Amino acid sequence: MSAPPLQPTSAAEVQEAVRTHRRLLPRGGGSKPALSWPHEGQTVLDLSGLSGVLEYDPGEYVFVARAGTRLAEVEALLAQHGQYLPFDPPLVAQGATLGGTVAAGLSGPMRQRYGGVRDFILGVQFVDGEGQLVRGGGKVVKNAAGFDLPKLMVGSLGRLGILTEVAFKVFPAPKATATLLLDFPGLEGALEALYRLAGSPIELYALDLQPPGTLVLRLGGLPEALPARLEGLQAFLGRGGEPLSGEAETAYWRSLNELNLGEGALVKVALTARRIPALEQALGQAPRRYLSAGNLLYLAWNAELKALDTILQAQGLSGLVLKGATHRPQIGIDLGQVMGHKVTKALDPQGKFAQEPYAAQD
Amino acid sequence: MNPALTELERLFPPGRLLHKPGELVPYESDALTAFRARPLAVVLPESHAEVQAAVRWCAKHQIPYVARGSGTSLSGGSLPIDGGLLIGLNRMNRLLRLDPVERIAVVQPGFINLQVSNAAAPYGLYYAPDPSSQPVSTIGGNLAFNSGGAHCLKYGMTSNHVLAAKVVLPDGETVELGSESLENTGPDWLGLFAGSEGLLGIATEITLRLLPKPETYHTVLAAYDSLAKAGEAVAAVVASGLLPGAMEIMDSLAIEAAEAAVKAGYPLEARALLIVELEGETPQVEAEARYLEEVIQKSGAYEVRVARSNEERLKIWKGRKAAFSAVGRLSPDYIVQDGVVPRSRLGQALQAIEELSARYSLRVANVFHAGDGNLHPLILYNGRLEGELHRAEELAGEILKLCVALGGSITGEHGVGMEKKAYMTEMFREADLAAMQRIRLALDPQELANRGKMFPGETPAQSFHGAHPLEKAGVISRE
Amino acid sequence: MQHKIDVEQLGPQGEIMAHAIEACVHCGFCLPACPTYQVLGEEMDSPRGRIFLMKEVLEGNLQMEEAQPYLDKCLGCQGCVTACPSGVPYGELISTYRGWSEPQRHRSPFQKLFRIGLQETLPYPARFRAAARLGRLGKLVQPLLPPMLKAPLELLPEALPQSEPLPEIIPALGERRARVAFLAGCAQQVLQPGFNRATLRVLAQNGVEVVIPKGQSCCGALALHTGERGRALQFARTNLKAFAGDYDAILTNAAGCGSGLKEYPVLFHGEPEQAQAAQLAARVKDVSVFLLELGLKEVPPLKRPLKVAYHDACHLAHAQGVRAEPRQLLRSIPGVELVEIPEGELCCGSAGTYNLEQPAIAATLGERKARHILASGAEVVVTGNIGCFTQIQTHLKKLGRELLVLHTLELLERAYAQAALQEGPS
Ligand SMILES: Cc1cc2nc3c(=O)[nH]c(=O)nc-3n(C[C@H](O)[C@H](O)[C@H](O)COP(=O)(O)OP(=O)(O)OC[C@H]3O[C@@H](n4cnc5c(N)ncnc54)[C@H](O)[C@@H]3O)c2cc1C
Ligand code: SF4
Ligand code: SF4
Repeated sequence: MSAPPLQPTSAAEVQEAVRTHRRLLPRGGGSKPALSWPHEGQTVLDLSGLSGVLEYDPGEYVFVARAGTRLAEVEALLAQHGQYLPFDPPLVAQGATLGGTVAAGLSGPMRQRYGGVRDFILGVQFVDGEGQLVRGGGKVVKNAAGFDLPKLMVGSLGRLGILTEVAFKVFPAPKATATLLLDFPGLEGALEALYRLAGSPIELYALDLQPPGTLVLRLGGLPEALPARLEGLQAFLGRGGEPLSGEAETAYWRSLNELNLGEGALVKVALTARRIPALEQALGQAPRRYLSAGNLLYLAWNAELKALDTILQAQGLSGLVLKGATHRPQIGIDLGQVMGHKVTKALDPQGKFAQEPYAAQD
Repeated sequence: MNPALTELERLFPPGRLLHKPGELVPYESDALTAFRARPLAVVLPESHAEVQAAVRWCAKHQIPYVARGSGTSLSGGSLPIDGGLLIGLNRMNRLLRLDPVERIAVVQPGFINLQVSNAAAPYGLYYAPDPSSQPVSTIGGNLAFNSGGAHCLKYGMTSNHVLAAKVVLPDGETVELGSESLENTGPDWLGLFAGSEGLLGIATEITLRLLPKPETYHTVLAAYDSLAKAGEAVAAVVASGLLPGAMEIMDSLAIEAAEAAVKAGYPLEARALLIVELEGETPQVEAEARYLEEVIQKSGAYEVRVARSNEERLKIWKGRKAAFSAVGRLSPDYIVQDGVVPRSRLGQALQAIEELSARYSLRVANVFHAGDGNLHPLILYNGRLEGELHRAEELAGEILKLCVALGGSITGEHGVGMEKKAYMTEMFREADLAAMQRIRLALDPQELANRGKMFPGETPAQSFHGAHPLEKAGVISRE
Repeated sequence: MQHKIDVEQLGPQGEIMAHAIEACVHCGFCLPACPTYQVLGEEMDSPRGRIFLMKEVLEGNLQMEEAQPYLDKCLGCQGCVTACPSGVPYGELISTYRGWSEPQRHRSPFQKLFRIGLQETLPYPARFRAAARLGRLGKLVQPLLPPMLKAPLELLPEALPQSEPLPEIIPALGERRARVAFLAGCAQQVLQPGFNRATLRVLAQNGVEVVIPKGQSCCGALALHTGERGRALQFARTNLKAFAGDYDAILTNAAGCGSGLKEYPVLFHGEPEQAQAAQLAARVKDVSVFLLELGLKEVPPLKRPLKVAYHDACHLAHAQGVRAEPRQLLRSIPGVELVEIPEGELCCGSAGTYNLEQPAIAATLGERKARHILASGAEVVVTGNIGCFTQIQTHLKKLGRELLVLHTLELLERAYAQAALQEGPS
């Protein structure tokens, strides 16, 4: 490791850091170490000091916070007003921050109901590769002015700019929730039920598949309607399953939020349910869980990442290593394309945030 | 004929390359008729390859171009560029694939929004974004403008429902953005493309996400004797913790117009109408409806109706969705504004608009997505009266500034286009705009794609009213 | 929309056009409703585009000839009027514009002759009968003819029905419930005398005394919609006189004639007979509307259930807003199951003389309509207009499917008479 981390406490200090350093790697709470593990020559920019909710008006469903604000702090504040982050970001207890969640593009099981982090981000402020402070988006739930820079920053892995401030849309939290665990004899039956549910008007907060054949469903809404809906759900599936409620239910999901799936690297894969059968064949024993009707997979990989990379390549899928020792967190198929390269260079012409220094001819 | 045009003739058969005055005139405006410009030619491609050929031709000859779907942009987004090429995509209107199991539809850009839901309906699915222009606007236009609608509060706008797009970049290269998954493991390039107003390329194939149709709707129409009360009702609904699918307000002028257009059965004497729609599973909606009823009761509505059948529901919505165009019955001209204010400032904004309306002595009709704080003041004027257009534009400008001052935005869904580019500086600082401009130039160094739009200070297009300054100066001319 | 049309110079007709153009906000809601836009996919061939073109011509910015091809392709179906939230009276605009532009147009001698031929025969039953006879001879040499002449021949029936002179008064059967005047129509008298026969019978059966005033003429719609305003005025003046009597209503059983009569106030705008025209127009009703209002006498049930598709004639649905009444009338026949035709609002392409002047587009639309009808699963198609009738029959036949096509009143008549409905066209 080269220099000790910088710890800016204001956007101006971030700008200063960018102007005065050749290569930088931002880090929020460090809960996704594979994404904040510096390469040779990169100086770590620790943003945990850039913290705090700046604006929050529950009547607006909107808050603005500094990028280094911990998710836990935000969630606690929202909960006081009966609201929540509908994209359900993971790793809350591990100290994940808003900025890190955006840059990594991470959502959790409850993204099933209303969408992921990209669907709730409203505004960003970031420092680009030339040290300019740039704002995009706004602080209202709807805004169509200018390019959608907030969405662009989702999944940008710190390579397009250093996030300093973010604005989010939030929703009222469900007043009551209930969970149903359903064991199917095998993957086939579970997938069939998953498809039926996903195509039905039943509104689930979570629709997870725990291989080999368990579906975990979460309902939310008004307490008085919940029993009838749970019954309806069981009737729809033709089976009772194992209901969870109360403290046990909350604890179940809280523990899942930590993504402690098992030993090894923690990897996120983007996919669709259609890809699950083939992937299941290839993944072997690796502990894993499919979220949001098969759109999102988190898995623990306790072998060479190269092997997983090969599997994902073969399946035409892309993955992101969140925890684990690697300098190349993006695995599977190469998502790079000419538009991406050009836009990246527009925001970071000197390659200050690039994983590798730009080649000379670039 | 100009040699470049001769080359274009080789690329497009006669019926699909238009360049005679009679063929060009109808393409001179979109739904914002205050601006007009005559393109050099219009081409009507029927495939990705033809779009690419047209774009390459533009790049080669440095001719600026504008893509056009149905030309319903309200901000001059599809206004042609004087002497540029207009690429009409309305003939690329095929549904390429509908997969009810995976719940996706793949369409060409000219496919009409409403047709997506129609095609999905037999499978109990629908396409959520519902701009009022949905019977006519195209998915390509919706994507370029990230269009929203009445039902965006809960499920978001176009960009929240587009999974992937095949795009011809301004240099003629093709890229595929996004995938069929809702998730991603790198920067959201598709997210950037959505709402980029045609500046970053032309989408030729778009993959959409379909949602299961809600089991039940509960649509409430509440009449108020003041706009302020309706606005407060919205705040009360929000405060109650309910999350309706839609919350819309119309004022008396809008009610009058909509009623004349589609006979929706609105109470004509109301000063404001609030439409609130709950949707979802029946037990949940029934429970929510009880809370909603309480809130509405307390909000001082003097008449409350609940749609008893799907027909009644559709009628309520038909009136709302016809409201913009219907205002054409009240006035020969109007400007539709599209500002956003924080929801809690709705009352304040409406009050201020009323005052501005009086000060400028121009009528303003209000139709808006109250749940999102997205205002649509329609400024009525008569352009034949000396100076009235100018006054209307000034008033529109004041409203936009007001929205920004209240912490909102100059556009919620209609985009910046031609009309609001001068106000971009109200919302963004120089560095913000510079970053956007750098992104644009990286993809389009010659500024060919939709030149003159979105960014402040570029060459204005031909204004309909009177000669353009450049025209007066003899720099440009019209036939 | 803003315009700079010199209304002073154009006079009352200019007012009508300027008013329509002003009401258009260029929103495009009419695009999906326009058959030519659907088929051709060009802005010039859309209502919005045409309004723009007319505006430019009227303002003097565009040569009339430049706009003409696209305005000629307009069916006048008024699908756009139904779709337009802003209330643009497009029908009035296009008729008036055609009346204004026709005298200034350059047409080839052949075109002129063709048009004069149409104008001089179609509105006059006797002449049309003679011409149609000739036309049947023409069918023999049809393959050798240019398309412009081929089209009309294709639409002629193999054999012409006997001519039936109509009495002046048809008394009510039983108690008289109403007394009406009836416009007998022109082409339909020759091609489908069965329409009038059925209409008059059903009316009589329902206690309606029908007067067919002598001295009536063609309603003038054909002339008006093709820009022959002078000729249209002549016809209309004749009818103003012929229908001046005191009747409970003036009935038509042809959509085009009904809307033609209802257009008199626009035709006479700025003329001395303006008020009289308005009075007449106010009393005009389609026979289906009239019967429904009167209250239909009970119809005996059909021998077996029958799937019936009702085809909306544009000049009923779009021009007169008559959609529900014919359907309700049909539903009151026990055993009738009404099915809807997909894309039912779109014109079948007949549109008066349109299929004679724009045969290619008319044929595309005709085929499209025929396919949709077949898709509806109907056993019988019913419509309220002679043009649609002929067009639909022709195109069903071309697809090799001889569905029974009837006028709404024919179905009613057969139901009253308990006649078989399975047999071929009458
Ligand atoms: C009466 C009325 C009501 C409306 N209501 C709403 C509403 O409720 N919500 C809302 O959001 N909008 C609304 N609009 C605005 C308008 O309908 C939307 O902006 C719509 O998305 C435009 O679609 P279009 O097909 O007409 O696109 P066009 O107007 O033809 O084009 C719009 C923009 O998209 C670009 N473009 C078109 N196709 C492509 C493509 N394939 N690739 C890249 N760029 C492309 C064009 O260059 C242009 O900049 C309304 C408009 C009208 C007239
Ligand atoms: S729908 Fe009406 S107002 Fe809109 S463009 Fe068509 S004619 Fe004009
Ligand atoms: S009358 Fe029919 S063909 Fe003519 S513009 Fe209107 S819809 Fe189109």
